[in-house]
Amino acid sequence: MEFLTDNLVTVTLLVPLVGAIVVGLLTESDDSARWVALGASVLALVSSLWLLVGFDPAAGTQAVDSLAWIPTLGSSLTLGVDGISLVLVLLTTFLMPLIVVAAWDHGDRIKGYLAAFLALEAAVIGVFTAQDLLVFYVFFEFTLVPMYFIIGIWGGANRRYAAVKFFLYTLLGGLTMLAAILYLYTAGGATSFAYPDLLQAATSLSLVEQRWLFLAFFVGFAVKVPLFPVHTWLPDAHTEAPTAGSVFLAAIMLKMGGYGFIRYCLTLFPDASRELSLGTGSGFFAVPWMLVLAVIGILYGALVALVQPDIKKLVAYSSVSHMGFVVLGIFALNSTATSAGVVQMVNHGLSTGALFLLIGFLYDRRHTREISAFGGLAKQVPVYAGFFLLVVLSSLALPGLNGFVGEFPVLLGTFQEVPWAAVLGSFGAVLAALYLLWAYQRMFHGPLVGAANESTTDLTAREIGVMVPLVVLIVAIGVYPQPLYDLVEPAVDTVLVGVTQ
Amino acid sequence: MTDLTQFLPDIAWSSVAPEIAMTVAVVVLLLMTVAGRRRMWVATPMGLAIAGVGVALLVVESTSPADPSLPGLLAIVAGVALVALTFGLAGVPRALHAWIAGLGAGAALVLTAWQIFDVAWTGSLFAASTTMEGSVAMDGLAIFTRITVYLSTLLVLPIGFAYVRDRNIHRPEFEPLLLLSAVGMALLGAANDVITLFIALEVLSIALYVLTGSARRDRRSQEAAVKYFVLGAVASAILLYGFALSYIATGSLELPGIALGMADPGSPLRLLAVSMVLVLVGVGFKVALVPFQLWVPDVYEGAPTNVTAFMGAATKAAGFAAMLRLFVVAWAPLADLWVPIVAVLAGLSMAYGAWAALVQDDVKRLLAYSAVAHAGYATIGIVSLSDAGLSATMWYLFTYAITSITALGGIIAIERRNHRAVSISDLNGLGRTSPALAAVMSLALLSLAGIPPTLGFEGKLGVFTAGMLSGLTWLVVLGVVTSVVSAFYYLRLMGAMFLTDPAPDAPVPAYSHGWNAGVTVAAGLIVYLGLQPSILLDLAERAAVLAR
Repeated sequence: MEFLTDNLVTVTLLVPLVGAIVVGLLTESDDSARWVALGASVLALVSSLWLLVGFDPAAGTQAVDSLAWIPTLGSSLTLGVDGISLVLVLLTTFLMPLIVVAAWDHGDRIKGYLAAFLALEAAVIGVFTAQDLLVFYVFFEFTLVPMYFIIGIWGGANRRYAAVKFFLYTLLGGLTMLAAILYLYTAGGATSFAYPDLLQAATSLSLVEQRWLFLAFFVGFAVKVPLFPVHTWLPDAHTEAPTAGSVFLAAIMLKMGGYGFIRYCLTLFPDASRELSLGTGSGFFAVPWMLVLAVIGILYGALVALVQPDIKKLVAYSSVSHMGFVVLGIFALNSTATSAGVVQMVNHGLSTGALFLLIGFLYDRRHTREISAFGGLAKQVPVYAGFFLLVVLSSLALPGLNGFVGEFPVLLGTFQEVPWAAVLGSFGAVLAALYLLWAYQRMFHGPLVGAANESTTDLTAREIGVMVPLVVLIVAIGVYPQPLYDLVEPAVDTVLVGVTQ
Repeated sequence: MTDLTQFLPDIAWSSVAPEIAMTVAVVVLLLMTVAGRRRMWVATPMGLAIAGVGVALLVVESTSPADPSLPGLLAIVAGVALVALTFGLAGVPRALHAWIAGLGAGAALVLTAWQIFDVAWTGSLFAASTTMEGSVAMDGLAIFTRITVYLSTLLVLPIGFAYVRDRNIHRPEFEPLLLLSAVGMALLGAANDVITLFIALEVLSIALYVLTGSARRDRRSQEAAVKYFVLGAVASAILLYGFALSYIATGSLELPGIALGMADPGSPLRLLAVSMVLVLVGVGFKVALVPFQLWVPDVYEGAPTNVTAFMGAATKAAGFAAMLRLFVVAWAPLADLWVPIVAVLAGLSMAYGAWAALVQDDVKRLLAYSAVAHAGYATIGIVSLSDAGLSATMWYLFTYAITSITALGGIIAIERRNHRAVSISDLNGLGRTSPALAAVMSLALLSLAGIPPTLGFEGKLGVFTAGMLSGLTWLVVLGVVTSVVSAFYYLRLMGAMFLTDPAPDAPVPAYSHGWNAGVTVAAGLIVYLGLQPSILLDLAERAAVLAR
C-alpha cells in the first residue's frame, strides 16, 4: 500500500500498461477483455484522482519517482507532475473509461483494439509526466505505434494512407526533436538527460543555437498540435480513424504538442521563445511568428471547416482552429493567456471528444457522415440533439460553458501583448459559431425527410452514460473554472518567470 | 641438455580460444561427414581427445581447486556432449551436425565471456594487449565483435535448420562452412596486422561465396554466388594492393606500426593517401557502403535466406571491426583526409539505401537496401573518431545483427514451404493468419526503423549521440531524415501484414522447434535490451579500447 501511495505517478502509468498486456494475452471471450480494460482505466482514474488529492499547486513538480534506466547516458525513468501535467493526466484518465465504454460494442477484434488504447494511455501519461528528456522522447514516439494500428486496422476505407501519413508526419517531427535533444545534451555539456540538467545546459546556448533548437522542438510539437502548415495529416487521420481513435487523437494526443510547447520550447529556449512569439527581435525576428502561425491556424481551420460536407471532417478542421487558440495563448506569454491556453486544452479535449463520440454514435446508426444526408433529426432523436447542441455550444465558446472560460482569457491576455493577433483570432470564434451552428441547423432542424432519418433511433442508456460525465464537466468548468486555474496558474507562472526575465 | 621449449613459438592460445573451439567443431564435422555411418569411430576418439585436453588444462591452468580453469571444464563438457550427441542422434545425421555446430558456437560464446572476465578485464575497462608477435589484438573491439558474431551464428543455426532441409540444400558442408566463416569474422575483428587481417577476410569470404551458392538448383543463388565471388575477389585484390602500398610507405605490416610510420614527417603522403583510398574500397565493399554496395541486393536476394541473415548480421559486424581498426588505428594520422570522405560515404549510404528500398517489391531486396542504409548509420560512429563513437558503432552493429536476424527469420518461416522469393504482397493479411509471426516481424521492423523502446532505437541513439558529440550535426540530421524515409518502407511491410486482407493463395508459414527457439530468443533480446540496454551497452562502452 505504501508503495502505491509513494509512487502514484508510476502506478497511474503502469495500471493501463499492465491492463494492455493482460487484455492482449486474454484468450477468453470478448467480454472479459472489455471488463479488464474498463477496470484498468477506472483504476488509472482513481490513482490519478488520488494524485490530485495530495497535490499542492504551489509546490512545483512533485510526486517524483525515479528509476535508473541507461546509466551510461545518464538517463533515468523519472516521472513527476506539476499543475500542467496533472490536468492533462486527469483529462486522459477521465476520458479513457468513457472511450472504453463507447467502444463496448466494437465487434471487430475488440481485444487488440482495447489493448492498443490502454498502451496508448500509458504512453501518453508517460509523455505528460516524464522529467527526463530521453524518456519523454521514448514515450512521445511510442504513442505512434498503437495509434498507427488503431487507424490502420480499425479505420475507414482509406485507412492505410491515413495511418502511414500520420506515422510519418509525427515521426519526422519526433526525430527532429531527438536530434535537438542530443544537440542540447552534447553542446550544453550535460551529464544526464534529466530535465533540470538540460535546463542548466540550455543556458550556455547562443541565441542562434536557441533559434535552431527551438525550431527543431517546434516542428516536433507543431505536427502534433497540429499547426498550419503541418496539419494536413489530421483531417485524414480523423476521417479514417474509428470513433474511439478520433476521440483519443483529438482529445488527448493533440495536447502532447501544446504540452511540449510550454514544458520544453518555452523553458529550454527562453530567448528564442520571446523573440519568436512576441517579435522582440529585429528584421525577420521582428514578427511574432508563433502568433502569426496560430492566427493562420485559427482562421484557416475555421474557413475550411465551414465548407466541409462531412461532419467528422468539419470537427477535425475545427480542431485545427481551436488548437490555434491554445497555441495563441501559450505564446502570448502572459499569465492570463498561457494559463488559459492550458485550460483551453482541457476544454477542447472535453468538447471535441464529446463531439467525436456523438458523431460516432450517429455513424453507427446511419453509416454516413454527410451532413446533407441528415435533416430534422431533432424531432426524431431529441436526446441526441440535446447533447449535440450543448456540446456544439461549448465548442463555440458560449459563456457559461467550458469553451468560453478558456477562449476568452486567451484573447484577453493576447490583446495585452499583441492586440492585432487577438483581434484577428476573435474572428475565429465568430466563424466557429457560424460553421458549428450551421451544421447543427442542417442536421437537426427543418422537416424530417427520408426513411433513414425517420428510422434513426435515439441514444441508448450506455451512450447516455458516456455523455453525462462529459456534459457535467463541460457545465461545471463553464460555471466555476477557478479550481482548474488554481491548479494550472502557479505552474504556468513558474514557466513564464524563466521566459520573460 | 638444452631446453627445447625455447625453440617453440610462444603462442597465447587464450587470445584465440573461441576460434579454436569453432575450428575443432569444423574438423569434427568434416571428419564425421567422411566417416558417414561409422561416425561413432570419429566421435568417440575426438570426444575423448577433447575431454583429455580439458583434463590437462584443468590440471595445468587451474590456480586452485576452488578456481578451476573454465576452458578445461568446458572442453570436458564438450567432449562428453559430443559423444552423447552422436549416440543420441544416431538416426538423424543432419540434426546431429547442426547440434555439433551449435555446440561449437556455444562453446565459443562461453569462451568469449571467459576472455572478458579472466583475461581482458582490468576491473573497469577492457585491457588492450597484443599477442602472437603483435598480430592478434586482445582488446574491447576484438571481444565485442566475437559476441556479435558468435551470437549471430548461434541464432542463425537453429532458425535456418528446417529451412535448408526443406529446400534440399542441406549438405554436410553447410555447417562447417558457416562456422569457418564465423571464425574468419572473429579473427577479422582481432587482426592487428594486415596479413592476419587479409587471411581472416579471405577465410570468411570464401566460405560465404560457397554458402551463397549452396542452393545448387536455384539460378538466383548461383548468380548471386558468382557475382559475390567476382566482385569480392576484385575488392580483396584492391585491398591487398592498398596494404602493399602502405607497407612500401611505412615499412610496417602491423597496424600500430603503420600509424607510427605515417606520423613520421618524412613519410610519402601521396602514396599513403592512395593506399588509404584502396583500403577504403576494399573494406567499403565488405561493409556495403555506397558506392561499393552494388552486389548487396543481388546477393541478399539470391542467397539462401538463412545465409543472408548470417551475412547481414555477422559479416557487417566483422567488416566494421576491421574498418574501425584500420582507420582509427592505422590511418589515424591521416584522419583529416579520410574523415570527410568516409562521412560523405556514410551520408550517401543512408540516403541511397533508404531511397532505393522505397521502390522494392521483393522483401529480401528491400532489406538488402535497408542494410546499406544501416551501414551508413554504423559509419557515423567511425567518423566520430572518439571512444563514444567506437562503442556506438560496436553497439549499433550488435543491435542491427539481432534485429536483422529476427526480420529475416520471419522471411525464412514464410519461404520454407513457398519455394520462391517473398514479395510484399505475400505478407498480406499475415496479421490475421499468423498473428504471432506478424507480431515478431513487426517488432523487428520497428526496431529497424528505430522506434523506441526497441533495440534498434538504442542503437541509433548511440550513434547519433556520438555524432553530435563530435560535431557531426549535419550527418545526424541526414540520419534523422533518412530514418523517416526508411520508416515508410518498414511501414509498407507492416501495412501489408496488418492492414491488408489475406490473399487466398498466400504462402503458409512453417515453423520448427529450432526456428521457434532462435526467433524467440532474438525477439526477446529486441524487447529486453530495448527496455534495459544497460547490460550490453555498458560492456560496449567499456570495450572502446583498441590495441595500438
